[in-house]
This record gives sequence, C-alpha cells and structure tokens, in this order.
Amino acid sequence: MSRAADLLPGTLDLLILKALSLGPQHGYGVLLRIEQISGNRFQIEQGALYPALYRLEHQGLLEAEWGTSENNRRAKYYRLTAAGRRRFAEETAGWQRLVAAMSAALAARAGEVG
Amino acid sequence: VSRPAIFARIRNTCQALRHRGRWEGELEAELRSHVEHRAADLVRTGLPPESAERQARVELGAREAYKEQCRGAHGLRWPDELRQDLHYAVRILRHSPGFTAVALLSLALGIGVNTTVFSVINALLLRPLAVASPGDLYFVQTNQFPTNSFPNYRDLRDRNSTFSALAAYRQAPMGLAAGGGAQRIWGYLATGNYFDTLGIRPALGRFFHAEDDRQPGASPFVVLSHACWHDRFGADPRIAGKTVRINSLPYTVLGVAPPGFHGTELFFWPEVWVPMAMQPQIEGRSWLEERGTSNALVVGRLRRGVTPRRAEEDLNAIIADLARDFPIWNQGLKLTLAQPGLVGDALRNPARAFTGGVMALAALVLLTACANLASLLSARAADRDRELAIRLSIGAGRARIARQLVAESLLLSLAGGAVGCGLAAAVLRLLSRWHAPLDFPVRFEVGADGRVFAFALTVAMLTGLLFSIAPLRQVARADVNHALKGLPSATSRVRRWAARDLLLAVQVVLCCVLVTASFVALRGLARSLATPLGFEPRGVAVAGFELGLAGYGEEDGRTFQRRALAAAAGLPGVSAAAYADSVPLSIDQSTTVVFRQDAVDFRAAEAKKAAYYQVSPGYFQAMGTRLLAGRDFTWHDDRTAPPVAVVNAVFARQVIGTSAAVGSRFRRGRNRPLVEIIGVVEDGKYVSLTEAARPALFLPIVQSYNSETMLIVRSQIPASEMALQLRGTVARLDPRLPVHGTGSLAQMLGFAFFPARAATLALGVFGLLAIMLAATGIYGLAAYSVSRRVREIGIRVAVGARPRQVLRFVLGRTILLLAVGSVVGLALGLAASRVLASVVYLASPRDPFVLPATAFTMVLIGLGAALPPARRALDIDPVRALRQE
Repeated sequence: MSRAADLLPGTLDLLILKALSLGPQHGYGVLLRIEQISGNRFQIEQGALYPALYRLEHQGLLEAEWGTSENNRRAKYYRLTAAGRRRFAEETAGWQRLVAAMSAALAARAGEVG
Repeated sequence: VSRPAIFARIRNTCQALRHRGRWEGELEAELRSHVEHRAADLVRTGLPPESAERQARVELGAREAYKEQCRGAHGLRWPDELRQDLHYAVRILRHSPGFTAVALLSLALGIGVNTTVFSVINALLLRPLAVASPGDLYFVQTNQFPTNSFPNYRDLRDRNSTFSALAAYRQAPMGLAAGGGAQRIWGYLATGNYFDTLGIRPALGRFFHAEDDRQPGASPFVVLSHACWHDRFGADPRIAGKTVRINSLPYTVLGVAPPGFHGTELFFWPEVWVPMAMQPQIEGRSWLEERGTSNALVVGRLRRGVTPRRAEEDLNAIIADLARDFPIWNQGLKLTLAQPGLVGDALRNPARAFTGGVMALAALVLLTACANLASLLSARAADRDRELAIRLSIGAGRARIARQLVAESLLLSLAGGAVGCGLAAAVLRLLSRWHAPLDFPVRFEVGADGRVFAFALTVAMLTGLLFSIAPLRQVARADVNHALKGLPSATSRVRRWAARDLLLAVQVVLCCVLVTASFVALRGLARSLATPLGFEPRGVAVAGFELGLAGYGEEDGRTFQRRALAAAAGLPGVSAAAYADSVPLSIDQSTTVVFRQDAVDFRAAEAKKAAYYQVSPGYFQAMGTRLLAGRDFTWHDDRTAPPVAVVNAVFARQVIGTSAAVGSRFRRGRNRPLVEIIGVVEDGKYVSLTEAARPALFLPIVQSYNSETMLIVRSQIPASEMALQLRGTVARLDPRLPVHGTGSLAQMLGFAFFPARAATLALGVFGLLAIMLAATGIYGLAAYSVSRRVREIGIRVAVGARPRQVLRFVLGRTILLLAVGSVVGLALGLAASRVLASVVYLASPRDPFVLPATAFTMVLIGLGAALPPARRALDIDPVRALRQE
C-alpha cells in the first residue's frame, strides 16, 4: 500500500531533526532525505519545510551556514547544534514510548479488560 | 524554555531586525536555491527546463505565505506589525495637523508640569546625600530642637552601642583671607570624625580625623570645598599644606573635598570645613561646654544590622542617664532619628507636605489634559466610524484596529512626553540657577536624573493608555452595517449624551478646582504680604559685618560700632539709624529661655521661649516698630546700669501675665540677674511668616556686646542706593572688614517670603494651564457639535428658527455642562482647602473674593471658547448648507 499519510502535528520537526542527525544538509536536501528514509510515505508540501527550519533555528536547535551544494549551487546548510542533538534524543525516546503505549493499548483484547 | 534560551532568541530577533534587508535577501535566496535544485532534479527526469522551473515553483507552494511564516518563526511578526501601526499612526496624525498640535501641546504641558514637580520632589526627598551608603546614615534630632547641645553629643557619641560613628557639625560664617581682603564665607565646623563617618575621599590632600580635633584651639586646619578651591585658589594643585587666614588667624589647608560633596544639608553649600575644636576661634563665644545651648547638628551611621528603632532606644537610655545628672537641660528630652539632608524633620516635614500638595494639583492638570484629549479623540473616532467600518468589513480584526488606535495614542503621548521633558528641563535649569538674594550659599540642585526620566516615560505611557480608552470603546461597539449606510452610529448620535460630554464636564470640574486653588493661593499671598510684620521694611537699608572676622575684641568692637553708627546717621537723607545683632525674619535667629520673677523650677521643659535681639537705641524708630508703652533704650542703659529689656505684647501677656508689663521683671535662667521691662512694642513675625504669635525680647546691645552687627538705616533715598553708601561707609572706616548682606530690608526678607511666592507661582501656572486646557476642550466640543450639524441647522433656519433658538440648539448642552461642572468644581475646590492650607500660608477657602472671582473666570472661559463656534452656527446659510453632502 503506497498511500501517503498526513503528518501528525509536530512530527515534521522530529523528521527534520532525524534527517539532520545524519549530517548537515540544505533545505531541499532535508526534503529528499526525509522522503528517502520514510520511503515516500509522507506527504509534505515543500514550502512548509522552511517555517519549520526557521523555527528550529530560532530555538537554537539548528545552525545554518551558506555553502555550495553538490551540483555547484549556493545553498544554506543546516546542522544540529548540541541542543538539537539532545532534543532529538529526547523526542525520539518520547516518540517510542508513545508508540509502545499506543500499540499496547490498541492490542488489548476483551478478556484483558476487568 | 530556559532563560538563556529566551535571551538568545531575543538577540537572534534583534540581529535580524538590525540587518533586515540582508535577512530578507537570504530568505529569498534560500527559496530560490530550493526551486533551482528541484528544477535540476526534474530536468534530470526528462522535463524540459522551462516546465521544470514552473513545476518546481508549483511544488514549493504558497511562497509568500511561507515567507510570512518564516518571519513569524523568527520572532519578526510583532515588530513588523508594530512598525506598520506606527507608520499608519504617523500618517493619520499628519493628516490632521490641528488636532495633533492641540494634543501635543496639552500633553507637553501636562507632562512637563508633572515632571518638573517630580524633579523637585526627587531632589528634595528622594535623592540621597552624596556620601558612601547613605541608607544607614541618620540625623539625630530632639523633641525640642533639630539640634543637640555639644556636651550631650559628646556623651551620646562615647556611650552609645548602636552607631558605628556619630559626628556633629554646624554652619558658621567665617572671614577667609585669600590674596586680597577678607571675604565673609560660610563653612562647617565639623567634628574630627565627620568625613570618616560619611565615608568621603578627598579629591586632593587629606581630610581631618578624630585625632586632629582633640585639644580646643589646637587644630587650625581647613578643608576646602571643590568650588572654593577652584574659584578662590585657582585650582592650585599644591594647595595642601599652604596657609590661609580665617578670622585673621593662620590655618593650614589639609585638602580639597570631591566636586559633588557639599556637606550634609541638601541646599547648603559650605566653602570650607574646620575642626569643631576651633569653634571658639571661629565664633568668638564657645558653646562646646554648654549643655543649655543646642547648636550641634548630629548625624550618625548605624552599625550593621541595627534598626533605627533600637538605636533610638539606645540613645534615649543615655539621655535618661543625662537627665539624672543634668535635670535642668535634659529632663523631658527625647531623641528621634530622621533622614539627613533637611535639618532632620524640621524642614523635611513641611517640604513633604508642600511638595505633596503641589504634586496633587499638578496631577489634576495632567488629568485635565487627559480628559481634553480623550474627548478630542472620541470626537475624532466618531468621525472615523466609516473608516473603521470599512476596515472591519474588509477583514481587519477588531484587535488589530484597537492596537492601531493604541499605537496612535502612545505615539502622541510619547511625543508629548518628550516635548514636556524638554519644557521641564528648561524650567529646572532656571530653578537650579536661582540664587538666594543673600550672602548665604543656598542652591537648589533640582536637575533631572534617570529617575525623573523614568517617571516622565511612565506618566506618558499611562496617559496614552488612559486617553485611548474612549476610542477603544468605540471600536468595540462599531456597527459595520450602520456606518457603511452613512448613518451616524449609535455612539455618535448627537442627541444622546455621549462619553465626551462626561469628559467635558470632568474637564470643567478639574479646571474649576485649579482656578479656585489659584485664587485661594493668590489671596493667601496677598494676605501674607499684608500681614503686620511688626516693623515697616519699606525705606530701610541694611549692611552687616561680623567684627570677629577682622579680629576685633569687645572694647574696640564697641567703639567701632558707635563710629559706624555715627557715620551712617550722618549720611544725607537718613531719618533714623541703629544697629542690632540681627533683624526679624532674616536667616540668623536666636531663641532664649525666660522665667518669671518668682520661678523656682528652672528646667528647660518649664521655660518659655522667646526670640531675642540685641539692639542699639533708636532701633524701634529705624525699623518702624511701634512702642506701645514705656520707653526706648538710651545710651545710658549700659554695662553700669541695671539690666533692662523691651518686650513685645505677647511676651507681656504670656510671660508676665499682664499687658501692663512695664516695670515687671523676669530672668533668663537660675542665677541670672533679674531684668526689668522698660517698654512694650507691637507683636510681629520673627522666624517665619507662618508662625503663631510668639514672645520676643529686645536687649540693649550696649549692655551685652555682640560682634555680629547689622546697620539699619531708614531714609527717603531708594534702599538699594542707600545700601551701597552704607557699604562704602563701613569700608572707609575699616577696609579689612568684610561687609555682607547689604541691600534693602525687603531683600533680606526674600527668604521668608520664598515659600509663599513659589506656591503662588506654581498654583498660578497650574490655574492658567487648566484654563487653557478647558478652553480648548469647550471650544473643541462646541465647534465639533456645530460642524456635525451644519445641515440640521440649515433646515431649522430655513423653517424659521431664530438666532436664539439656533444657539440654544447648538450650544445649550455645552453651556449646561459648563454651569454644572463649574458648580461641582467650585464645591470641590473649596472642600480641598486642607490640601491648599499645606501649600499656601493664610489660604482660606472661605474668602468672599474667591467664589465670585472663580465664577467670573469660568464665565469668561465659557464665553471665549464658545463664541467662535456660536458665530459659525449663526452664519450658516441654509441654502448652501442644504446643498452640501
């Protein structure tokens, strides 16, 4: 099934952090990387990436620097800061706890409910 | 979010704001780079370049909306909108220059007045002395005087356990010889620990310390004030160690005080400090060992952790011991601590009452300005109904429009505040430059500091918020459909009573209160100028000299006084001449205790106190004081004759117990000789104009010498001219003798009249401002009401309304408001008499003059302000009015 899922609120930030945890990247590169690691399962409007990047940068989780991209174009490269790395770890752990809790809850059967 | 993170974000935003152009450029470049990368990828999948470019743009989405979100994410939205608001506000205000000018002026005056008054309060009551940690410095006062006797001070200093240091000081005139002849200057006699107590460092050389102040007469040292060093010694860098002569004796200059330091009294600027041990050499008569003479001002620094309360208990325990040892002087004595700077509470309390009253009235001026502006703004808001409705209907949020209006108000009030600050600064500069019309180093340093500017800013902001309430209500209630149809909205319908009518009434009330206050103050001043002083200052010239300053002893001093008097009396045009140690209502006043002839209890608490003067024969004639009974002194009432005195009528009644006091006796202490009363003179004012009638005592200076001499001359010649002749006469007799306080007697009294004059000036200015503001308010509302109803008036005239009916129709409500407001204001103004009484001496709200004068003024204001709109209403041509629109 290849139906693209809408992103849950807040998950775009986590995906951006994940994408950048793999190494510095410019905006378009972040987009490609998210598509790649998620197997194209998320529908992201391309422009929506930028407010999220700006927000994370403003929060001090990312820092940016202008550089030259692989095909010789100027591009703004983002990288995780120490705070960003910490936040990524926390968010990942939080997300996994949530998933585990939700899965357990959804897997409950009638017999297990007193 | 942690605090450093917040600061980092603010810094981030500010950086973006500072380099805004670059920031926007980078945002644009980043999006462009995205599109280019995407297009390149699309080309790689086989799309032709042009459609790849287009496709990439489409995929990016709503570019401008995302850019706006990026700005928001970077904290730029708020400043952006603020900038837009201010931009719009400037445009709106530029659009109506008349309104803007009136509003700015009202605000500038209102805020300017308040800033000025606050500045004075700041300098007087809030700003601490220029010493190290002024917070734990306290002034020690008694329940009888602000001062202590020196022996009491010594005991307090040595026995207390709550002060880390306790110092004493005293202002004293001195004759300083630097270069040319001797100059009479004012200095401090200060105990050796004075500078160490205050924690001051010298600008040059050293200060004196406790060990420099042990042996009486053995420490001829002097510390110069920075100004004295600068002006009299040319800022000589090697001044320390040099010798100057004070009262003809050599003193060694130890050092120079720092520039800002001028002793421990706020308005007194001494030129030198001399150790207290030199007091006998400086003042001639020593009081350092007299427990009955309270001449020392005492200031001390509390030990760490000691409360003022505990220190008071400690000091009073010592005084209780002293009362056992010296009951005459110390029984009934109680010490309290006060803030230093204004002779303890002696000046601080009246200053606080006075400035508090003036501040309250200034606040009323500002309130009037606020009401004025609010009514102007709400009238404008009514006119802007349509504009608001259009903006609402095309999707502007009410919140955004409200913020817009607040921005307009704040812009106005901040601009008004800035102009007001400028005005205040100008007035304060004048005040600071004011010098007392005397040889007395009084200066009012009332310049603005950070606290004053913070005050002005706060007042301006509050004002802006206050007067934007009215237009805000308008926005909240604006009815889009109604206004767009061209109908007047519910709030601006003319027949209904609107908020601005209430505002006008408030203005009239406040104006009336202030006008009442001005009239009460003016009458108070007039009455205090007409108060019987007990002498007639017109036509009297005076010149003072202190013989001690030129090294005169008692015998040659007496001879010199007689020679000077003879020379002065011989001047052409002089009708009477005399001399005395001091005159009433000048700065130098003395008090003595007196006891009835049959007194047995000589404790200080039991004594009557009387102002006393040592005068020569002819004094009463020269001063114009009426002799009620008995005789004046003669030259035969000298040291060989029995002691005699002249007293005033209150003295006769209160001390002797009968107004027929001639021949009765009294004494000035146990073991002091009986003094016979030979004459009774009229009562007068002695220390201040506001004092209650008090006993006064005149002693013959021939019987009891005093080196402080004031020549008093009555003549037909203008007093200023006479004063110059007097100065010349004394200079001819002894060129070395410094002459001070030459001028008319009226000039010498300037100090006594200063509070009344200042209060009247302040209240007069407030009254005028209130009149201006109320007149603008009335004019504005009346003019507005005419302009809104041109068409209606036209119809009425067309169907036959007479001028009177038109006037009643247009101005009826304004007149009604004016009348009601005036009545209420007058009642309030009269009720506020207690505030006024603290500001103006002899202020009586029950004055028959005040009521009609205020009523008349209000009628004038009403007529003046309503006349132009009335004329406009009568001039309306029905044909043209109906053709309009």
